[in-house]
Amino acid sequence: MTPGGEPGESVVTVDGVSFSYEGGFEALVGVSMRVRRGEYIAIAGGNGSGKTTLAKHINGLLHPSVGRVTTCGMRTDETSVANLARKVGYVFQNPDHQLFCTTVEEEVRFGLENMDFEESESAPKAQAAMELVDIVALRDRPPFTLSLGDRRKVTIASVLAAEPEILVLDEPTTGLDHHDSEHLMSTLRALNRSGRTIVLISHDMRLVAEHVDRAVLMAAGRILVDADVGAVFSDLELLREAKLVAPPITQVAHRLAPLGVSPSTFTPSQLVQQIEVLRGGGG
Amino acid sequence: MTRFDDLYTEADTFLHRLDPRVKIFSVLLLSLLAFVLSHLLSLILLLSFIFLLLLLARARYSKTLFALKFVLRFMALIAVLWPIFDPSGTPVLARLGPVTITEPAIWRGITSAVRVGCLATVWYILMFTTSQRDLVRALVKLGLRFDFGLTLAIALRFFPAFGSVMESIIDAQRARGMEFEKGGVLTRSRRYVAVLGPAIVTALRTADTLSLALESRAYGARKDRTYLRDLRMSGGDYVALSIAIALLVVPAVARFAFEVPI
Amino acid sequence: MPAIQMSNVSVVYKGSKESALDQITLEVEEGEMLLLLGRNNSGKSTFCRLLNGLVPHSIPSTLTGAAAVFGKDISRGKVASLSTSVGMVFQEPESQLFCMSAEEEIAFGPENIAVPRAEIVSRVEWALDIVGLRGYNSRSPASLSGGEMQRLAIAAALSMHPRMMVLDEPAYALDPVGREELYSLLRRLKERFGMTVIIAEHGAEEAIQFCDRVVVLAKGRVLADGSPRDILSDETLFDFAGVSAPQLSRLSSIMRRRSLGTGSSIHTIDDAVREVQDAISTGGQEVPR
Ligand SMILES: Nc1ncnc2c1ncn2[C@@H]1O[C@H](COP(=O)(O)OP(=O)(O)OP(=O)(O)O)[C@@H](O)[C@H]1O
Ligand SMILES: Nc1ncnc2c1ncn2[C@@H]1O[C@H](COP(=O)(O)OP(=O)(O)OP(=O)(O)O)[C@@H](O)[C@H]1O
Ligand SMILES: [Mg+2]
Ligand SMILES: [Mg+2]
Repeated sequence: MTPGGEPGESVVTVDGVSFSYEGGFEALVGVSMRVRRGEYIAIAGGNGSGKTTLAKHINGLLHPSVGRVTTCGMRTDETSVANLARKVGYVFQNPDHQLFCTTVEEEVRFGLENMDFEESESAPKAQAAMELVDIVALRDRPPFTLSLGDRRKVTIASVLAAEPEILVLDEPTTGLDHHDSEHLMSTLRALNRSGRTIVLISHDMRLVAEHVDRAVLMAAGRILVDADVGAVFSDLELLREAKLVAPPITQVAHRLAPLGVSPSTFTPSQLVQQIEVLRGGGG
Repeated sequence: MTRFDDLYTEADTFLHRLDPRVKIFSVLLLSLLAFVLSHLLSLILLLSFIFLLLLLARARYSKTLFALKFVLRFMALIAVLWPIFDPSGTPVLARLGPVTITEPAIWRGITSAVRVGCLATVWYILMFTTSQRDLVRALVKLGLRFDFGLTLAIALRFFPAFGSVMESIIDAQRARGMEFEKGGVLTRSRRYVAVLGPAIVTALRTADTLSLALESRAYGARKDRTYLRDLRMSGGDYVALSIAIALLVVPAVARFAFEVPI
Repeated sequence: MPAIQMSNVSVVYKGSKESALDQITLEVEEGEMLLLLGRNNSGKSTFCRLLNGLVPHSIPSTLTGAAAVFGKDISRGKVASLSTSVGMVFQEPESQLFCMSAEEEIAFGPENIAVPRAEIVSRVEWALDIVGLRGYNSRSPASLSGGEMQRLAIAAALSMHPRMMVLDEPAYALDPVGREELYSLLRRLKERFGMTVIIAEHGAEEAIQFCDRVVVLAKGRVLADGSPRDILSDETLFDFAGVSAPQLSRLSSIMRRRSLGTGSSIHTIDDAVREVQDAISTGGQEVPR
């Protein structure tokens, strides 16, 4: 399931985009960013900062009022959403907004049918997608009776089945407990390793710090920072401006910077490693 | 986009301040007046009066335009169709096969159109100046059972929310490659299921929480219930009601008792 | 009188074979702020709904054992009568707000129990003020942001003057700063009015800093019950419960395993800074225990 194309080439280009909803509310103001093939990025920010609005521009559900968006070489305002759906898999915030089939397997195959895949092709693709998120055992169950975690997995499988080049997930871990969200994050990590480009929307900064390469922070419809995760966490003030809070370990690391601890420390084990190095050196 | 459930515009005019019960009665009385009046000129006078009230209600231009669009279309339809189906009277202006167009029929058509215009726009005064909660409150005060009133209020409250849920569902299915524009009967019906299925499930889940929330706040705890906002008639309300009654009674007496052709 | 008294309480939903709550014995003092932790399906919502009698009176289920709130037997009390002592806030903010204005939302409870109008007016102002929504009287709940909606839901429960507030995953869908604000609002309720506060969450990271006591549920049973300090110092507990271990607790246990620092448990950022400083400055020497 490895998509083709050069790594490093730009797959999403958002160029000077402003967007107003009907009624005039300006939800995006002069936003520019790009996503390269094979990247794993996060869009983070407070409630109402414009994350979902920006993400919906990637697959053409929304078109910019000003500026342009190019996805996989196609201008989104000149291409149908159905066409872009072959390249961009989009997992919505609320799984209940898309599940309607009588079995999990039908649900996973629904997207493939829309894209006119033959039965002989769609069955193995659906199977592979269900294996990837570990829901094969649920294949004959009606989706809406499953737990939230499992419903979320079904929506992810239904998007993965079409083997999109880019995967956009809107807050996929809300409502999931630790176990399920870790499982989901490791699945995403594996997909990314196999070449898929991933855009994750989240305000869980611990997830962002531990799993993502680059983060775009938004506030009031604008991009505050767009940088490597390490650099993003070096400015706690800026994080707060984006209504975000750094993971506790990063906060500890900031306080200990005078002792030589790096401010881009995200996990307890990273911190302990540094302690061991520092006390060896200071000894 | 303007919708019919969203015509209310907040403002502080005497029409906004009137008791909603008085507004409901007055609008009913003015509607009856449109039937009492039979002369085109008096109906035009009534229509102008209604427009004056709309002006005083400081209805927003875009909303007025949206609301009037429907009325004007309907009025035009009546004015055109009436003469075609009503062959009575002379002089005859034209004969086209079985259709006879007479001059009195044209006038009758215009008169009916204006009457319908009055009947529709007078309700807009109520819609433009009364919030949904005041309407529901008035209905409960006029005798509607509280639980029916609450149900109505909840329906009105969740209607727009349900609209955005539908939008989100449609987006979610489009993102999976579903095209709303093309396809035969079978794919079309599947599309309805793809949108209505999640809509129903979402609505049921909402209703579930809603009923728990209602109970958790002591809904139905006792028969007597107090109200934060009660409706009380003020001097102005009585004056307005008297004017509305007079507006109906005087012409009615004139027409039916004294046979004044108005 | 304790706020909650449970002894051998089990709940089985109609049509289900397993117990959603299994032999719970627990006592909560009035004025405590308690965090109820557990993974999906561990029974948190069931516990919350039991506290105002939704379980077993409104949701088909059977309750065994003795459960009382402020001395009132739950199996006998009606939801409506318990609701004057227990305020309930649910997970999704939108679907629990059903009125057309914020003030009506807050007035709804008191109206139902026939509180005189003048009193309702003052309760509305009081509740709006506490949750930081002063002046929002005629705003439509649908027009509020997620955080504002959740605060309005709290105000709507507060206007009943409850002695206990129960919140089932109230921070769901709020951004981190919104969460902090929510938890500190709840903390204020406890400190200013001596209210008992019960919060159910499936992650401990943020909420645990604000609570006095933590109860960890797993498969309907109480797996652990103690102060945040006790709970945080037991990292295996979190793995066992399937709950994400707070980072500081993980730090504490790794440091102990490697004999770094003084070995005292790490509860706050300050604790952690102190411990790490200690570990770095004591250099290669073993710290005597
Ligand atoms: N359909 C809509 N019509 C009008 N305004 C909207 C619509 N959808 C979103 N908005 C507004 O646009 C702004 C950005 O919304 P968006 O959904 O992109 O935020 P978000 O960052 O995804 O927030 P959250 O974390 O709550 O999901 C918000 O102020 C929101 O109220
Ligand atoms: N209305 C119901 N009818 C039948 N079974 C139910 C009902 N509600 C919950 N259950 C079951 O009871 C058990 C406990 O569920 P509960 O909702 O209390 O867990 P929870 O800890 O709140 O989970 P979550 O984190 O997903 O909200 C689960 O096995 C669940 O499937
Ligand atoms: Mg969003
Ligand atoms: Mg729950």
